[in-house]
Amino acid sequence: MISIPARRRKFARGLLLSLQLLATHRLRTALSVSGLLMGVAAVIVMAAIGKGAEQRVLDRLRAMGTDLLVVRAAPAQRVAGRQRQVDSHTLLRAADGDAIVGESAFAVAAAPAVDQSLVVRWGRLNTATTLTGTTAQGLRIRNIEAESGRLFDDVDGRARRRVALLGATVARNLFAGLDPVGHIVRVGSVPFEVIGVTRLRGTDPGGLDLDDVVVVPLETAMRRLLNIAYVHAVFVQARSSLELEVLEQDVREILRSRLAVRSGVLDPFVIQNQAVLLRTERGAARAMNRLVMGTAVLALVVGGIGILAVMLISVRERTREIGLRRALGAKRRDIRRQFVFESAMLAVAGGTAGVIAGIAAAGAAAVLGPWELVVPWSAGLLGLVCSMLLGLAVGVIPATRAARLEPVEALRAV
Amino acid sequence: MIFAQSLIKSYRKGALVTNVLKGVTFRVAQGEFVAIMGPSGSGKSTLLNILGLLDRPDGGRYLLGGADFSSADDDALSAARNRTIGFVFQQFHLLERASALRNVTLPLLYADENTGDEMVLAERALEAVGLSDRGDYLPSELSGGQQQRVAIARALINDPALILADEPTGNLDAQNATEILDIFRRLADSARTVVLVTHDRGVAERADRILAFEDGRIVADEAMQSRPRASTAKVP
Repeated sequence: MISIPARRRKFARGLLLSLQLLATHRLRTALSVSGLLMGVAAVIVMAAIGKGAEQRVLDRLRAMGTDLLVVRAAPAQRVAGRQRQVDSHTLLRAADGDAIVGESAFAVAAAPAVDQSLVVRWGRLNTATTLTGTTAQGLRIRNIEAESGRLFDDVDGRARRRVALLGATVARNLFAGLDPVGHIVRVGSVPFEVIGVTRLRGTDPGGLDLDDVVVVPLETAMRRLLNIAYVHAVFVQARSSLELEVLEQDVREILRSRLAVRSGVLDPFVIQNQAVLLRTERGAARAMNRLVMGTAVLALVVGGIGILAVMLISVRERTREIGLRRALGAKRRDIRRQFVFESAMLAVAGGTAGVIAGIAAAGAAAVLGPWELVVPWSAGLLGLVCSMLLGLAVGVIPATRAARLEPVEALRAV
Repeated sequence: MIFAQSLIKSYRKGALVTNVLKGVTFRVAQGEFVAIMGPSGSGKSTLLNILGLLDRPDGGRYLLGGADFSSADDDALSAARNRTIGFVFQQFHLLERASALRNVTLPLLYADENTGDEMVLAERALEAVGLSDRGDYLPSELSGGQQQRVAIARALINDPALILADEPTGNLDAQNATEILDIFRRLADSARTVVLVTHDRGVAERADRILAFEDGRIVADEAMQSRPRASTAKVP
């Protein structure tokens, strides 16, 4: 019986012969694959633009903290064994943040925070705003950046320095266009040096002004302003916004055990995430994916029809060749296989050209145009695989037709 | 080699039934060179198709090399065509885009057995028809006679016992026709069976034996007196 390598060699030679024959009608072959070429290229470009746009949207949403969980302390009901009525005391400690990062694989960073409404004064002007105390880490994971001046760091925190960052709104209200950096403001009644103004953050989805804030180091806020040993909240950054749910469970368990909450008792904290932003983020990604998928399906259908049409013509034209091959000993399945593979080769050629053209066009657009593009290599690979499967699929009809021809009739064809 | 008994074949076109073969009986021994001669439309091509396992008779018996293929499936027929029969057509039927060598190797694509280096086999086959220096030429770069010799080389590559030729000289001038017939003569002399279909008495007379065919029947079975040797003109 025939050996495997010989069979493979035969198969390769058959394909080579097919290629030579396809090359007979260069223009037609080129036209037949051009539909698929343009379709695949268009999908790649669209995917690139779409991915770029999606990336930009996601970056912005993420800047607003879609990967953050906020553990907010509920008022403690018992402090030092006594029932408390006043809801100013919490059980949450700064160390709880470190514990969460240490114990949960899904948390990459955590930052405790305190906040308090109070009045800030400069000269004769004053403004009611929100004081936030947090760590240098907290600035980072909450995307608080300096527009002018500098941010505070851990050294400022450990030294409990009275340094403050003003939100843009506070800066405008107090300084009205002057550069606040270097000036001394009074936060409550304590003097602070303004070391920076934060970059504009806008509002959250609820319309709350994120720039109406004064940010100071956590330790300074706790010891010099509020005189408390607990914190109001812990911000926890997830490894990915997709893992927020498991992270939330981890955080809940870790905190319940740290705070020695008995089962059956309500959590002395609430865990919040940016649900609205997350929905927006996932919605945007889904809409973009659907658009690209839809275009891809359309492109493949159009490309497939082009190849199908040319293969049908080819079978009709090459009837005598089919008859000859049958006379020389080709079985029906040999003929069928030949035409299926010719179709697949056309499709792969078109798909490859389309991927190359698409990636080149996306690259050119990224350089020349105002778009941010993410070249979708995975889409390119997928395009190739889909093209080949498409070729195999649409090849079945013409190939079956070719295989059904009676050798005698086929040889007589003109 | 060939045993045909009362072969019947008819074609139906709508209500019209045409009886093409009306009981054909003959034998061909191995190494014989037989011409089936008759006017066009006499059914000789249909007979050749049946002999070549391209078509099946409606009735009668046909044995090829002692084997009965009347109940064989398409795969078995294909395999037998590949292994034991070499076809030569009036129109040559070469693939225009493929070189002479590639054309000659075509039957090897469908051979079940691995008979050795295909290119060596193809070159040997081309050499046998005197075209060893034309292997890389495309059919369009060859004369009609040369194209038909490529086709004969293709028919020979699987070393078949039977060569079936349908008006092989029909598209050739006298000089080329003579050369082609010389090749058939030599093949028959080397124990291959050659069956040739023609309407041309001059061509038929180069065979050992003429079966005169008319209206679906053999009307005469005539042995040539002196077996003509291959003509002295050397095939280039």
